[in-house]
Amino acid sequence: MSVVEYDIVVIGAGVAGLTAGARLAEHGYRVALVTTGEPTACLSTGCIDLCANGARPLYAARELPREHPLHLVSDTDIAEAFGRFLEVMRERGRVYTGSLEHNRCVLSALGTLKTTCLTPAGMAASPQSDNEVIRIITFSGLKDFYPKYILSRFAHASFSSYDAGASTTMGIASRLERDEYLEAFIVWLEKLDIRENKIGLPAVLGMKNTAEVIRRIESRLERPVFEIPTLPPSMPGRRLFNDLKDHFRNKGGDIFWSWPVVGVEKAGGLIEAVFTRTEGKPNSLNARAFVLATGSFVGGGLTATRQTITENVFDLPVHVPSGREGWFDEDYFSPDHRIGKVGVCVDSSFRPEHSHWENIFVCGGILAHAQILKNGCGHGLSLATGYAAAGSCAEYLK
Amino acid sequence: MIKTDVIIIGGGATGCGIARDLALRGVPHCLIEKGDYAAGATGACHGLLHSGGRYVVSDPVAAKECYDENLILRRIGEKCVEKTGGLFVRLPGDSKRYREKFLRSCEEIGIPTEVLSATRALELVPNLNPEIEEAIRVPDCSIDPFRLCMLNMRTSELKGGLSFTRHRVIKIIQSRGRCIGVQATDAATGEILEIHANIIVNASGAWTNLVAKLAGCEVPLTLSKGSLVITNHRLTDMVINRLRPSSDGDIIVPNEAVCLAGTTSQAVEDPDKIRIEPSEADVIITEAGKMIPHFNQTRIIRAFSGVRPLLQSSKTDSREISRGFQIIDHQNGMYSIVGGKLTTFRLMAEKMVDTIMNAFNLKRECETAEKPLDGQEELSGYPLSKRLADMKNIVCECELVSRADVERIIQQTSTRHVGDIQHRTRLGMGPCQGGFCTFRALGIMQDHSILTPDESMQALRDFLQRRFRGIRQALWGDQLREEQLVEYIYLGILAMERKK
Repeated sequence: MSVVEYDIVVIGAGVAGLTAGARLAEHGYRVALVTTGEPTACLSTGCIDLCANGARPLYAARELPREHPLHLVSDTDIAEAFGRFLEVMRERGRVYTGSLEHNRCVLSALGTLKTTCLTPAGMAASPQSDNEVIRIITFSGLKDFYPKYILSRFAHASFSSYDAGASTTMGIASRLERDEYLEAFIVWLEKLDIRENKIGLPAVLGMKNTAEVIRRIESRLERPVFEIPTLPPSMPGRRLFNDLKDHFRNKGGDIFWSWPVVGVEKAGGLIEAVFTRTEGKPNSLNARAFVLATGSFVGGGLTATRQTITENVFDLPVHVPSGREGWFDEDYFSPDHRIGKVGVCVDSSFRPEHSHWENIFVCGGILAHAQILKNGCGHGLSLATGYAAAGSCAEYLK
Repeated sequence: MIKTDVIIIGGGATGCGIARDLALRGVPHCLIEKGDYAAGATGACHGLLHSGGRYVVSDPVAAKECYDENLILRRIGEKCVEKTGGLFVRLPGDSKRYREKFLRSCEEIGIPTEVLSATRALELVPNLNPEIEEAIRVPDCSIDPFRLCMLNMRTSELKGGLSFTRHRVIKIIQSRGRCIGVQATDAATGEILEIHANIIVNASGAWTNLVAKLAGCEVPLTLSKGSLVITNHRLTDMVINRLRPSSDGDIIVPNEAVCLAGTTSQAVEDPDKIRIEPSEADVIITEAGKMIPHFNQTRIIRAFSGVRPLLQSSKTDSREISRGFQIIDHQNGMYSIVGGKLTTFRLMAEKMVDTIMNAFNLKRECETAEKPLDGQEELSGYPLSKRLADMKNIVCECELVSRADVERIIQQTSTRHVGDIQHRTRLGMGPCQGGFCTFRALGIMQDHSILTPDESMQALRDFLQRRFRGIRQALWGDQLREEQLVEYIYLGILAMERKK
């Protein structure tokens, strides 16, 4: 068995894990992050939602039910977490727009306005009401984007279709990264003689150099351009993941990609190591503290069996509000499916409740009572709790 | 007793290729194989028709041979070559200097390359490790070695060539210092068959030295065992190579519904006594997993080994030994042909038969590079890759339904119900239960102005509600996981309103 020593091992490469990992690495700790693969963040819109239940995200978050995990994070910590995030993204050339004071809207591919807190650069100009005068550009053959959904809700919208020679978001994004291809596209756009105030496109404007692609289109067409998030594979989600990942690495963190945790070494009230399996031999990652950020069901942090629901790494107690028949309401569109409350309960220091482990800190979508879809609190919850759990972990390691 | 001009010992790609070449040049021959065709290293390899990229830095001559043969086989063997294309992927930490050498050498030799961004590579092969720095596209292909051997033998058969499988050569008959024939035992009956000829070609791969010894000769070989694993899924539509000097587990080849990954390289003594070490499978899976992370989770359905007969040299690492080939004239009417690789089997056969023609003082040019392989007209080719190639616009990935299929039903029935399309195409009947494709089918109906967007939104809402009635009873494990993802997409990313 090979043994590697770290101060902290973070499990999970989503927004929560990467935020916690980066903060701990900034404190000078040696941090390893293990992940089974791409996080669900790659499927996301790249927007940071804190709480969509009102016009003011932080205020709305404070109105959430008492047991909601956002109440474990102080206003100061939320402000710091968001401030740090904005700063990191700005350094990387991805300027996010928005603040904790006001929610914003992002136009969805169904033509609805989705409420969120921070929006990535490509969505800064997204319409804030359905009165806006917009031109939608679509790509013929793109199978996950149908502009008429949007037209039905926007009285002053029209669309044009470009033949990109590719039918996937990834395919078009990779082409738009090539200069001559982008130039041909812009020339085509210029010929359309667009009179509308803004130009909206599915989120395919490159992968690495989105800001540059947008800047070029905007300067030539002389009007703002915005991206509309699409079904996965989502370019904005992947960009967010890449930036957080690169930032974590720049701070000195190590990522062990495709390393599922298969076992745990315990001693008394402490976790001493997690085992992974690779190169045909067991590997032991020893650390003084562990951050669990494996997400909920989609992320792979929780597994439902016919009988119950379990946490997959440390077998922590899981809050399950009812038997299986009660996990889902009959109405698909019910905001109160009880499955949304399932997760790990933590105390004010983000240690799991009803367990005696001193050195596990839990954050992100795996937390109980989050009801992420109902409350519109996805990445914001991960950012805030990841940041705060890292603070608590650093306090413990002092 | 049978009399012929040339006896070929060994029914691997080389032996079968020699039989075809002799047949096309009108030379009577007889092939003897102790098992079935392609039973040795030929059938126990990747099935990779090299572009030459793998060898371009270490052995430019072999690389050039590979590329030339690659072009020929794609032309003459349409039904046993799948034109997948290949990528050499560079992972973080892989040498940039090797990349430069690779590109320079390819250019010198004439192997076409295209440098692709990570994004573009991920578009082509979505299962690739998203951490890759970049990829270089080369014309690698997948080849069916079994079919290749059978088609080569078909020509031999059509021209009156003889062949005996499951016959083991037990004796090489000599007279006045010359080899004049062989005796072979029929594995089924134990009967002994005697064949006489003027020339004997020993093309028995890893068994070459054992056969040569029957005639009192020696062929010093290094036997190198290579192991591979097969997955139960086709995880990539292109050949994937690691952009670094040859090492364990750096090639993944798609073949119909599965993928093969390998190889290892270990010197062995006896080609009949090989076993796969558990650590070999682990190393292959781990290394392949670095290029396609799914390898770590995918079902491995089998591991197998082949033995490469490499020319002996002073180099200790068997990977360093040339993959070139050599014809040895034993000066007694017997020739041994050793080394080489599946990709260059035709060239090896050509050179061997040139030598034979010389010995017979006959003049007839080789035609194997021009004539398509016989018997291909009866074969279907690659059904899966054909289907995939026709399906550029798949809207239902679970059931492989294309946009054209949906449009055809819309035109035939003018239906306003997405359910009618589902029943007629199987759209939405797979694992995601319409979670992704119903949105698309309704979008296509909008495009054809069958439904207004409002109607299609309502239809989508009704569909999700109806679908949930059935799914709700089965929500645990991976189905619950998938359901949560679908919910996340519609209610989260698409911000679908809950009530209207």
